[in-house]
Amino acid sequence: MPVYQITINGQVVEIEAEAEMPLLWALRDLLGLTGTKYSCGMGICGTCTVLIDGLPVRSCITPVSSLTGKSILTIEGLSPDVTHPLQKAWLEEQVTQCGYCQPGQILTAAALLEKNPAPTDAEIDSAMSGVLCRCGTYQRIRKAIHRAAQGG
Amino acid sequence: MSSPKLNRRDFLKLVSVTGGGLVLALYLDACDKLPPELPLLSAKDPASEPGAVTPNIYVKVDKNGLLTVTAFRSEMGQGIRTALAMLVAEELDIAWENVRIEQTPADSRFGNQHTGGSQSVTKYYTALRNAGAAARQMLIQAAARRWKVKAEECRTEPGFVIHPQGMEKLAYGDLVEEAAKLNPPLTVKTKDKDFKILGTELGHWDAPQIVSGKAIFGLDVRVPGMLFAVIARCPVFDGRFSSVDDSASKAIPGVKQVIKLDDRVAVLAENSWAAIRGRDALKITWDEGSKANLDSQQITSEAAGRLVKASEPANLLEAVYEMPYEAHATMEPMNCTVHFHDDVCEVWSPTQTPQSVQKAVAQVSGLSQDKVIVYTTLIGGGFGRRLQVDYAVEAAQVAKAANVPVQVLWTRADDMQHDFYHPLSVQYAYTSLDKPALPIINIEHGQGIPIGDWRSVGEFPAAYSKECFTDELAYRLGRDPLDLRRELYRDNPRALGVINLAAEKSGWGSALPARQGRGMAYHATFGVTHVCQVAEVAVDARGNVGVKRVVCAVDCGRVVNPGNIKAQMEGGIVFGLTAALKAEATLKNGRIQQSNFHDYPILRMDEMPLVEVYILESDEKATGIGEMGVPPIAPAVANAVFAATGIRVRRIPIRPADLKV
Repeated sequence: MPVYQITINGQVVEIEAEAEMPLLWALRDLLGLTGTKYSCGMGICGTCTVLIDGLPVRSCITPVSSLTGKSILTIEGLSPDVTHPLQKAWLEEQVTQCGYCQPGQILTAAALLEKNPAPTDAEIDSAMSGVLCRCGTYQRIRKAIHRAAQGG
Repeated sequence: MSSPKLNRRDFLKLVSVTGGGLVLALYLDACDKLPPELPLLSAKDPASEPGAVTPNIYVKVDKNGLLTVTAFRSEMGQGIRTALAMLVAEELDIAWENVRIEQTPADSRFGNQHTGGSQSVTKYYTALRNAGAAARQMLIQAAARRWKVKAEECRTEPGFVIHPQGMEKLAYGDLVEEAAKLNPPLTVKTKDKDFKILGTELGHWDAPQIVSGKAIFGLDVRVPGMLFAVIARCPVFDGRFSSVDDSASKAIPGVKQVIKLDDRVAVLAENSWAAIRGRDALKITWDEGSKANLDSQQITSEAAGRLVKASEPANLLEAVYEMPYEAHATMEPMNCTVHFHDDVCEVWSPTQTPQSVQKAVAQVSGLSQDKVIVYTTLIGGGFGRRLQVDYAVEAAQVAKAANVPVQVLWTRADDMQHDFYHPLSVQYAYTSLDKPALPIINIEHGQGIPIGDWRSVGEFPAAYSKECFTDELAYRLGRDPLDLRRELYRDNPRALGVINLAAEKSGWGSALPARQGRGMAYHATFGVTHVCQVAEVAVDARGNVGVKRVVCAVDCGRVVNPGNIKAQMEGGIVFGLTAALKAEATLKNGRIQQSNFHDYPILRMDEMPLVEVYILESDEKATGIGEMGVPPIAPAVANAVFAATGIRVRRIPIRPADLKV
């Protein structure tokens, strides 16, 4: 089986997997990084979002063979101690309910703020509406992104 | 607040001082007369069985001054772990950052752990406050003895007992050893003012773990040596396989075992992806059984045919409403992890009913219940789906047959097509125009597929037809729907309270542009929590309904965590909007036609209305909030759509085709 060298959360790791194995399952089942969640498996819901070279990508439909030389950020790598501005804003705005989709929400928001440090509501909706939340935390996510954009 | 006199049987009993902590077992039944179970849930309640023992709860204060509250209900985002701990922490008088929460496994000593019906806070409100107050009194007594002063003259500040002269203080952690040797108090006095924790907006205790990706949901459980399993189930309910060719499946790298159960086939592999591919590669001939012709259109017509219509009184206003099957579509699909070893069975399950899981796994594995240990993980959405035990039963069967620890993963399609659905129903509502009143409603449910509890259960159709009909009645009588509701609920001050508040905050009656409208709905879910919602919608020329704003007034009695009440109302509204405007589960040839979020679309962020939640101050008993935001939103939106367009749509989800110009 081929071995792929991939940078995950700043560390180079070797993944021995079939070429088509989605990154999601490599993270969860091979590397034990269970912060990235499975929900739809078809790139529809955004729950499994990770950042690849800073861009939000659905890890459930991204084969490991496409990632050599790329840098991946998962929720575990966002900050060592829950101090990323978005994590702090998420706590301040009391966003989480069940919490299952929130890693994907937070990473999608991180990519948005990287590109657009002061997004409007419409820009937030546009960037975030592909990440589904059945608990209905959208209003608080919007507020939390504004809060993080304003420096907490 | 009163000082309840506890009798001998019910006193706060010191059970253990292990680990240097003060541990209280609180026998709950004297502290809080429990209301009877709601009929919808009682049949499945483990504690409704004869022989159920007295419930109790453990509160621990340790040498480090930390409070550990044992959570005995399931956390699925409704905030119950946080709420239970807040009740204890308030009375103990301790800083929130010094509170820890541990989830207990299924255990009959904790009473009924069935987390459904939005009842946990109502049932345990007084008991948990008494538990905290008792621990505080024992710590005070220990300090008073050391200082040789009267306990009544001491007070506390968070984490400390303060000397009567105020010059000295002792940390709780320094007092637990002495306190643990004391007899627990026979009476406790809880606070009646100066609340520091209750009534404050606290985020969920689990939130830091969630936002850092460390929270453990069911699918995150890892047991050494475990395999991942995905199961092929007959696409038609109650069908079974007749033949299985697993050669292609076994050829997939990572696939380890194929296990045939009675009606389904499991593929076990080294990782989830191999298990999914292995399952998909099975060649199965299904014996589809007797339900292969089920069709939801036909099920709807049959239900409509069974509806009993009224022949009197004279001068009837009548209407028939309809709603389809709905899936739960929890973001975390069903799953369960099971490990048989050393004559026991360990189960890690995102379940709302760990004791039912325990019982079901014991039955299917031939073990006694005390040999089945069920750990409740955090739950990635429950909404009633996880009050079932099917996911645990099959996982236990697979793990037992495989003789290795197994995590059974349901794919999204598995989850959507093998749900216990919110029932399809048709509802006939009527009243006499001569003597207008709230309607009488006859309801008929679709038959043929598994149905189950779905956030707010029968209250959802009940509120839908009642509140849509009330709106129709108002227009028919030439009355404002708000005024009519004020009249219909004139003897119900709590109903009037939320109706008037929602009307005021929404600007009810003020003008809106063309093709925009407001609609109101009021409902007291399970008869306990009063909610009125006013939805403001805009309908475009193609018939798309945009919900711009929802004003929600809620009276749930005494408030534990206002932030969480607001969050649950927001969440209930979003959940209901998906059913009102977007998603339905349909059947053709016995199969659920939807398989994922593309054809079962749930509300997205760009469709999220501005939601404003207003909480009425109340001294009434604290009542539930988890489900109560759901029922009013569908009728509020339907009524708003009528106000905007003049079109009365009597079926949800409301679709653009219903409203095209």
